[in-house]
Amino acid sequence: MVNEDLNLDSAPRAMVAENHETAVSIQDVKKSFGETQALRGASFSARAGEIHAIVGENGSGKSTLAKIMSGIVLPDEGSVDIHGHHVSSPAEALKTGVATVFQEVLVAEGASISDNVFIGSQGVWRSRMSRSEQHRRATDVLEHLMGHSVDASALVETLSLADRQWVTIARALVRSPRVVIFDESTAALDLSGAARLYAQMERLRSEGVCVVIVTHRIAELTTFADSATVLRDGIDVGILRGSEITESRLIELMTGVKERSGLAPQSRRLSKGATADIVLQAAGLVATQGARPSDFVLHSGEIVGFAGLDGQGQAEFLQTLTGVRQAINGEVTAVARTGAAHPISNLAEAITANVSYISGDRRKEGIFPNLSIFENFGMPLYRHHRRAGVIDRTAISARFDAMSKTLKLRAGAPSNPITSLSGGNQQKVLIGRELAQDPQVVALNDPARGVDISTKRELYAQLEHLALEGAGIIYLSTEIDELIGLCDRVAVFRDGALLGWVTGDNITSDRVLAGMFGHLEADFDVEKALVEQQ
Amino acid sequence: MKQQSRFGRFTSKSAYAFAAWGLLAVLLIVCAVRAPYLFTASGIGGLLVSAVPLVLVVMGITVTALVGSGVDLSAGPLMIFVNVTLVKVLFDQQIGSPVAVIAWALGIGVLIQIIQAIVITVARIEPVIVTLSAFLALSGINLVILAQPGGQAPRWLAEWGSGRSILAPMTIVLITAILGWWAFTRTQLFTNLRLVGSNQRTAFVSGVPVTMIRVVAHGISGLLIGAGGLAYTGQIASGNPTQGGTYTLAAITALVLGGISLAGGRGGVLGSIPGAIAVTLISFTLTTFSLGSLASFVVQLSYGLILVAALLISVIIPSLWRKRQEVKAS
Repeated sequence: MVNEDLNLDSAPRAMVAENHETAVSIQDVKKSFGETQALRGASFSARAGEIHAIVGENGSGKSTLAKIMSGIVLPDEGSVDIHGHHVSSPAEALKTGVATVFQEVLVAEGASISDNVFIGSQGVWRSRMSRSEQHRRATDVLEHLMGHSVDASALVETLSLADRQWVTIARALVRSPRVVIFDESTAALDLSGAARLYAQMERLRSEGVCVVIVTHRIAELTTFADSATVLRDGIDVGILRGSEITESRLIELMTGVKERSGLAPQSRRLSKGATADIVLQAAGLVATQGARPSDFVLHSGEIVGFAGLDGQGQAEFLQTLTGVRQAINGEVTAVARTGAAHPISNLAEAITANVSYISGDRRKEGIFPNLSIFENFGMPLYRHHRRAGVIDRTAISARFDAMSKTLKLRAGAPSNPITSLSGGNQQKVLIGRELAQDPQVVALNDPARGVDISTKRELYAQLEHLALEGAGIIYLSTEIDELIGLCDRVAVFRDGALLGWVTGDNITSDRVLAGMFGHLEADFDVEKALVEQQ
Repeated sequence: MKQQSRFGRFTSKSAYAFAAWGLLAVLLIVCAVRAPYLFTASGIGGLLVSAVPLVLVVMGITVTALVGSGVDLSAGPLMIFVNVTLVKVLFDQQIGSPVAVIAWALGIGVLIQIIQAIVITVARIEPVIVTLSAFLALSGINLVILAQPGGQAPRWLAEWGSGRSILAPMTIVLITAILGWWAFTRTQLFTNLRLVGSNQRTAFVSGVPVTMIRVVAHGISGLLIGAGGLAYTGQIASGNPTQGGTYTLAAITALVLGGISLAGGRGGVLGSIPGAIAVTLISFTLTTFSLGSLASFVVQLSYGLILVAALLISVIIPSLWRKRQEVKAS
């Protein structure tokens, strides 16, 4: 499947100025983090005076590639050459003229805005520029970027998140870089802010700087990127140049043409479909500040997918539905099998109503890393299995065995620490933990992050089994492929609100992506394209 | 955004030091009633001179706290290590010239702090564990070198320490240290140090040589603690191996009173110096009450209570201040 895409590289390159030298050249780079292989032999090269995008789905390794170019991550194998230098630390990257704006908004709290702009670029002992000069330049650059005036001597935490992002962008710009890497830098910016950033990128290009942008927002780069390297599963699968960069070509490469059917094998369940019984509903729900209110209904036996670009409010919406997060406005109600309605406004009510939430961020919101596999599984069951106030370990043990069999858990002794398991198996324990409580609604927040494909398939089978038994399931994924073939309906989120539904056979990468991205194309009628209610 | 006045900016950036200055003011008022002789030239001089060793040690641990190494438990025993080696090893070897003594005191302080910094940054062991180990090891070594209080300081140093006037050599040392600090805060090194302390990851990805900055910060701390050992030796004109723990606790009390963030990056000697003077004043104030044999317990008890009270106040006042600023702004 990969080979077919490779010949795209031989496409005409006339669109790009030929006489610019190669600024970045990366050959066959490999990098693993523990069990996850982030890069599996990726190559990348970009020239001075071009805007070169690195595109790929979440987990395709694009951020790792950016970190390697910035000297933050060292590759396991392969060569990295930037303007003839080998970059192996951020300080060296700085000397070579590489400046990176990261996805995380990295500022030093407690320090002034001006210090945050000039951090790192002023040497160790003596500053290259007087403090008043730094102050003046920071004010100038930031006013230009933010579009409003700012007191550069104020503490950086007095700024909004978007303005802090501008501080990190200004940090890159004041270094007069030869290579600038923007890693998902528009995430915290609004549309006019993004436009100002694009103007900056074009200015840099005209000055002969090599501009590398890492993004999964493909609509935004079709208009102004000169080249785009597409990554999939840690390998570069093709380079598009100039007019070849279109949404459809990019999506084709990102998802893999032959894999359009999605990750989940076509289900036997879908034909049976959902029942008419409502298990969870929300009216006028507002989960994030400033979002439009949304209504939502989940039926028994149904698997609903949640899709959207990162930070479009889908995760917050999911957490509000399950009582993890307080709703800003609106109501959530779970309907029990008996027909009784349980309002959900906090976690305790969600637990009584048998609504479970499973986080994909295992380390932060899932596991107790210093406890055993068994304890991680049994934690919420202690309440139920007690004899005269003493925990009945035999009963829980029996349930653990049943769980590990149905979920095909690959683990050593149950008394081993949970951290001895791979990410996928940790996730299984967490899912087993929720399932053991006989949930009526299961909400999964990107549970398959960093999980291998066979484990994913086992997870899908388990969810389908659960749906067949009458539970309602919400599956939030950052990879659209996961939703295809698994979900009866997919809700697409934008700007914190539920934008519309894609149902049944219409659930394809193209359609979901169109809903997620389309807003940047002026003539795209989102409402018409997406509102295909059942 | 509204431009703040110079004064407004200064007060809002120095809000952390309110607790220390406030406590100092309260203690001075108590002293004015209980012991008016403090407010004579020699009274103030005596207070400052007796506070000098602690002030220098507190300045030292302020640097390590700023760079993000948390509380340095080893500071007290390190200061005492300088003290006992000066009166035992150097004095026994007939080494007494000012140059040699000063070089030894400062050098050994820097050396031991740099060793700790390397263990912290290169071997990546939690700073508190490293400094605790150094605390224990140095406390033991101090007792091996000098089993009980005794020994003799070089005569010139003892003379330095005996002055009690407001322009005694020790107050000049203090003024020099404060001026030196002021110059230090204006260097790029200090900016880097604070940036590393407030967010090490940001500093690292921005190309700041984090390890080097941290090692240098510990070195500067060692310099100040070494100077503290020198001042202490001059003050008591002999050696005392038992005071390490007391000094560590007093220094940490002063650091926390001074509003220095133990997470790094925030604060400065504007808080920790009045903090150190306040800690000295607490025990002085208590001696004006006749507590007899209870005195030492009461001193510790008051440290604890005052520390908690001061911290509560230092949490409440800045938040009230911020609210007021917000109300003003809107």
